[in-house]
Amino acid sequence: MENETKNILQELETSDYKYGFVSDIETETIGRGLSEEVIRLISQKKEEPEWMLERRLKAYRHWLTLKHPNWAHLDIPEIDFQDVIYYAAPKQTKKLNSMDEVDPELKRTFDKLGIPLEEQMALAGVAVDAVMDSVSVKTTFRDTLAEKGIIFCSMSEAIKEHPELIKKYLGSVVPYTDNFYAALNAAVFSDGSFCYIPKGVRCPMELSTYFRINAEGTGQFERTLIVADEGSYVSYLEGCTAPRRDENQLHAAVVEIVVEKDADVKYSTVQNWYPGDKEGKGGIYNFVTKRGLCREGAHLSWTQVETGSAITWKYPSCVLLGDNSSGEFYSVAMTNNYQQADTGTKMIHLGRNTRSRIVSKGISAGKSQNAYRGLVRVSKDADNARNYSQCDSLLIGDKCGAHTFPVMQCSNPTAVVEHEATTSKISEEQLFYCNQRGLSTEDAVGLIVNGYAREVLQQLPMEFAVEAQKLLAISLEGSVG
Amino acid sequence: MLKVENLCASVGDKQILKGINLEVKAGEVHAIMGPNGSGKSTLASVLAGNEKFTVTDGKVEYEGENLLELNVEERSRKGLFLGFQYPVEIPGVTMANFMKIAVNEQRKAQGLEPLTAAEYLKLMREKSAIVELDPKLTSRAVNEGFSGGEKKKNEIFQMAMLNPKLAILDETDSGLDIDALRIVATGVTRLKREDNATVVITHYQRLLDYIVPDYVHVLYKGRIIYTGDKSLALKLEKEGYDWLINDYKEE
Amino acid sequence: MSEKIVSELQARPVLEPRIGSGCWSVDLAKGEAITLERDAHADMVLTGAGHEGGALCLTLEPYSRLNIVELVDQEGATTDLRISLLEGAECSVTQVVTASSNLRVEASLDGRFARFELGGAFILSANERGTVQVDVRHNVADCSSRTTFKGVASQSAVGKFSGLVYVAPDAQRTDSEQLSRNITLGEARIETLPQLEIYADDVKCSHGATVGQMNDEAVLYMRQRGLSLATAKRLQIEGFVSDVVLRSSTELCREAFIEALESKLEKL
Repeated sequence: MENETKNILQELETSDYKYGFVSDIETETIGRGLSEEVIRLISQKKEEPEWMLERRLKAYRHWLTLKHPNWAHLDIPEIDFQDVIYYAAPKQTKKLNSMDEVDPELKRTFDKLGIPLEEQMALAGVAVDAVMDSVSVKTTFRDTLAEKGIIFCSMSEAIKEHPELIKKYLGSVVPYTDNFYAALNAAVFSDGSFCYIPKGVRCPMELSTYFRINAEGTGQFERTLIVADEGSYVSYLEGCTAPRRDENQLHAAVVEIVVEKDADVKYSTVQNWYPGDKEGKGGIYNFVTKRGLCREGAHLSWTQVETGSAITWKYPSCVLLGDNSSGEFYSVAMTNNYQQADTGTKMIHLGRNTRSRIVSKGISAGKSQNAYRGLVRVSKDADNARNYSQCDSLLIGDKCGAHTFPVMQCSNPTAVVEHEATTSKISEEQLFYCNQRGLSTEDAVGLIVNGYAREVLQQLPMEFAVEAQKLLAISLEGSVG
Repeated sequence: MLKVENLCASVGDKQILKGINLEVKAGEVHAIMGPNGSGKSTLASVLAGNEKFTVTDGKVEYEGENLLELNVEERSRKGLFLGFQYPVEIPGVTMANFMKIAVNEQRKAQGLEPLTAAEYLKLMREKSAIVELDPKLTSRAVNEGFSGGEKKKNEIFQMAMLNPKLAILDETDSGLDIDALRIVATGVTRLKREDNATVVITHYQRLLDYIVPDYVHVLYKGRIIYTGDKSLALKLEKEGYDWLINDYKEE
Repeated sequence: MSEKIVSELQARPVLEPRIGSGCWSVDLAKGEAITLERDAHADMVLTGAGHEGGALCLTLEPYSRLNIVELVDQEGATTDLRISLLEGAECSVTQVVTASSNLRVEASLDGRFARFELGGAFILSANERGTVQVDVRHNVADCSSRTTFKGVASQSAVGKFSGLVYVAPDAQRTDSEQLSRNITLGEARIETLPQLEIYADDVKCSHGATVGQMNDEAVLYMRQRGLSLATAKRLQIEGFVSDVVLRSSTELCREAFIEALESKLEKL
């Protein structure tokens, strides 16, 4: 049986990356490399106001003083930041007014991705801001949202149309001084999504952004800013894909979330960037900074299913500033072949009676390395803070690695912080039992893994949960051990 | 011995006891019955001095003293014993050590010398026999890994060790099989004297077959709505509380 | 002080006597090491004000058994233990810390069926700083390890525990458990990093960490039985660390442990 399993394993490792097609769309790019000139050019192409350019330059000058971080449990090849194209936009001559005007090739790309960009999305209840390469292509359902006072548009538009909100909130949660990639992103970000939910408004539909890197040699640096004003609610989804290429591509995004008093934000990600081939060639370097700030009584929940990227470096975090605020982090990180993931969260308890919960499920297969890295900090004034963390690892095959690096810092005697972790593998007995009841080994593994990840998948909105399950199955193919 | 007048208590914003009146004299056994959530356990906790509850009104006199002015351990040292409904596990603290400190604290409060090791061991052997408690359990950590029955026996064992004037037993019978129930109840009866009193909080009449009460009180929505003799318990067992509650509503 | 004094190195070999009992001094600066021969059994009590001169290196030859007990009660002590366990060797270490100090233990499981156990506790008060670093390296298959470190920090003390369980590729059937349990009182701070680094799939590894406070219910329970608040708290802390201090392997210097513990608890 062991042999059979090995065979299936190898067979499946060769299964294709379903989203690895390249769209034949004319793109407008600027030359490779990074300098003040390039930043001025990006800003100019985006017709940005002067204050935005100033912010970019400030971030760039700061970035020049920084060194590439190397503390993660990752083997990151040296990245030549002068060999990256920092701006690529699908060529368009004029502004789009209706769906029909969208480039048919572009529409086909999105169809292949399975993004319902058409009117039928009303039924699905999804409003999509699709970001291809660096420019936000089309934002759907803006009118419906506008009735409620909800702003949902590309970052470029927001800079022009809502400068007061952007000036107030952009960089307020993740300042450019935060880290190497946050600085780089603040200097060169080309687009992204902006979302504002006014006081007391419950966003009537799931908001969603799809990211796709299409052009060759480009880096994607999108920036997302969500502001949920007092007592509001929004559920936000983010999906990512990229075509297969032999070279590595860089994705360094920043997501900032401001959760005002008593507001509630749910942010879900299904990340499926091209992971590289089974030899470990190509794939996206996914270096993302995600953080939310919770005021009094606010609640922020991060859910992520990470199956793609050659290297993932990402720690969606919650700063629990206000009293009685709470944060959650649910994660499934799946690595196969030569993928590396170093992901986790930070829960910073500053306010009183703050609560946080971490559920992390790592799955490593092939020759991959999967690390959970977490920080739970309870500051001196965070009376009655509570944290519960659970970090489980599942190993499939004997060439992979699973690592857990939780840090707990507690400076308040009324706080309770708990961490538990287990490591397991799919046992022969489990597989035998399933086989005996007529399941193929492959189905059995899928079943066991989905069961293992269930607690997290349940947190996803329905449509995403189905996609995530399929993705897990695809990424798992060939990893039976 | 104990005189409770118009006792009102709350937890947070929630008023639970709404004017309890109860008098317990030496040599008496009182049973307090009532449906779930009527405030039985709260009454026990408040009398023992649990700071989670706030006394909002009323008086409690115990042995001529204002009980409400005393803290938990002072009440204990003056002979008030609470048998917990859910005895707490205290990892790493052995029963023997725990009880030794408790007994000697009580003796200190009474102006007595602490027991010598030999005296203490003798006392422990003697008292553990009353509840047929496996002497081995006394070398284990307090309640840790004890079965439900062992935990309850352990409560009565501690009661025997501390020899209280007033024992309040909060659902000591719940979760016990008939043998354990007999042992626990017999233990309580053997500890009964002319100069002490027992308040038994219970759901079931079956405990009262062994511990015969002089009075049976029915607690409902934070008040004692009816008091009778032991026949009341039998009637409640057969007919439930509805007839009483309905009467009460009509009032 | 670069000298590590090892007292009471008692050997009770199973097959034939090789070493007697007595006191050893080991010059750490010279890199001297101790080897426990095949099948030998020994108890070892480490005393002295730490080992600043370097690490105390121990090699346990196949099927030998070593029991190490150490009380760290001197301000500013630094201790460093490096233990290599060969096939079937067993090592048990108990460390109790009652003063500002810096502890490091590295156990390498280098032979199959080796077993390593560490029980430790630190109790810190005032402005004391204590750091503990425990690395357990499963380099080969079929070994097991258990690490439990308990921490109590009161007043303005800071206690740090950092643990690593490393499981090498092919160290299959590793069975490892790592626990860090802590109580903070007053203004004290606790940091704990229980880390796992695993490169083999057929393993049973778990770790847990908690930072908490006194159990109020237990305190209430004890007060109901007449114990004062202070006694109830002290007793709870004593109970919290007692399973480490009173492990069967600590018989050698149990009295010293209890004495150190009691005098420390008075200061909390």
